[in-house]
Amino acid sequence: MAHPKLEVSWLRKSFPGLDVIGGISAAVQKGEFISIVGPSGCGKTTFLRIVAGLEQASGGEVRLDGRVVREPGADRGFVFQSDNLLPWRTIYDNARIGQEIAGRSGAAERQRTMDMLKLVGLEGFEHYYPRQLSGGMRQRVNLARALAVDPEVLLMDEPFSALDAQTREIMQTELLRIWERGRKTVLFVTHQIDEAVLLSDRVWVFARRPGRLQEVIDIPIPRPRDLSAKRTPDFVALVDRIWRLIEHDVRDSVLHENT
Amino acid sequence: MGGKSHAAGVIALISVVGGLLAWEAASRLLVSNKLFLAAPTQIVMAVIGLARSGALAHHAAVSAGEFAAGFAISTVIGIPLGLVMASSKTAKSALQPWVYGLYATPTVALAPLFILWLGIGIWSKVLVVLSLVVFPIALNTEAGLRTTSRELVETVRSFGASASQVFFKVSLPSAAPLIFTGLRLGIGRGLIGVVVAELFGARAGLGQLISESSETFNMPNLFAGVCLLALSGIALTVGFTSLERRLFPWREEQG
Repeated sequence: MAHPKLEVSWLRKSFPGLDVIGGISAAVQKGEFISIVGPSGCGKTTFLRIVAGLEQASGGEVRLDGRVVREPGADRGFVFQSDNLLPWRTIYDNARIGQEIAGRSGAAERQRTMDMLKLVGLEGFEHYYPRQLSGGMRQRVNLARALAVDPEVLLMDEPFSALDAQTREIMQTELLRIWERGRKTVLFVTHQIDEAVLLSDRVWVFARRPGRLQEVIDIPIPRPRDLSAKRTPDFVALVDRIWRLIEHDVRDSVLHENT
Repeated sequence: MGGKSHAAGVIALISVVGGLLAWEAASRLLVSNKLFLAAPTQIVMAVIGLARSGALAHHAAVSAGEFAAGFAISTVIGIPLGLVMASSKTAKSALQPWVYGLYATPTVALAPLFILWLGIGIWSKVLVVLSLVVFPIALNTEAGLRTTSRELVETVRSFGASASQVFFKVSLPSAAPLIFTGLRLGIGRGLIGVVVAELFGARAGLGQLISESSETFNMPNLFAGVCLLALSGIALTVGFTSLERRLFPWREEQG
């Protein structure tokens, strides 16, 4: 097997009196699309934030192309749950902020920003301000901004959870299309099991208390995929299998949050 | 939309013209003693007279200079003061009681003291303006920086932004509209400061013109001074508002 793109070993995260992540080891190959699902409180978002360098691990390490990751960098692109666009910047200037921070401002970078905006379907909106765009369009800019730095790994934290159901399905197919074009390595956190199955090569199922990798499920559905895959028996069986893995934890977390 | 704002403009115009006519009528027909009120037409004549003699330009230039110097110094001190308060908790705890206290104080009452210290020249007026304008600028700068969205800071941090990149690319642009609000609030306070300080003692300036006219019972000249101040206040505020609109187009409601 090839050297993994991303390698996580014995990753732990704890706050006083609370173990959020209790030792996770896993590897991601170049070009793999991995989704992370699990009940709330399983540490999936914290895990992603540690990989991004936005939070420090309490133990263990994350390696990207063999180098230990300790802080944020342009080799990872983070797509946030809310679009987090800078309201005073135009769409174009928002999309290129990662390159700007890295001090890259050549013609090639400008072209890449334009290409990414085009890829997410926002050609012609370069000079608009974020407030002039719909939620779905702003989330596209969020994605283009992360892609514009041409990251080794794309980290996506429930990027579609704030969108309505129809927009979300459209964004899922858009993401499939975009991913087919570049085959980036992706870590995608979601609480929607069907979203995870539709998008991923493999689904990591997390369990809670403390957060840990319970099982890795391969998704052998042929690509390229579209929304019709959701109606196939294989798809339904996979969703069902993953749901049964986390069902107990989810019920448990719901009960705990209600008492 | 267009029709509505057009109608609003017409109503405003009728209101202003009607008010001026009522004023003119009252001062001609009701108030027999010229020591109590001047008619708008007399004020216009007074303005023309003052302009011809060169007195107007002189007074206005002195007041404008005092205002501009006080305002500029307030900006240069107020923005960094707000920055310091926003960036250090210790500094904020130490400075906040003073800044809030002095913001709420009508420091214009200290004008006689400042004149005692600095004489009746322009610098006592500059100090009065400074004492009124610096605090709203500092407070708004601090508030603007404090309310910077954590999510936006984290977003640029995710690309590996340094502390200074976070400041210049997120905190400062995010605080800029509130800093400008502070500056705009400072305009009105600064104009009051200049005039009141001049009333207490000055060699020249619109406040001095008003005080001298009042002592000689020259109502048209007194009103001329007041109206010029009102107009410059309006002009500065309107100009500033349009500058804000141009600088921060992203805040505008757009269809």
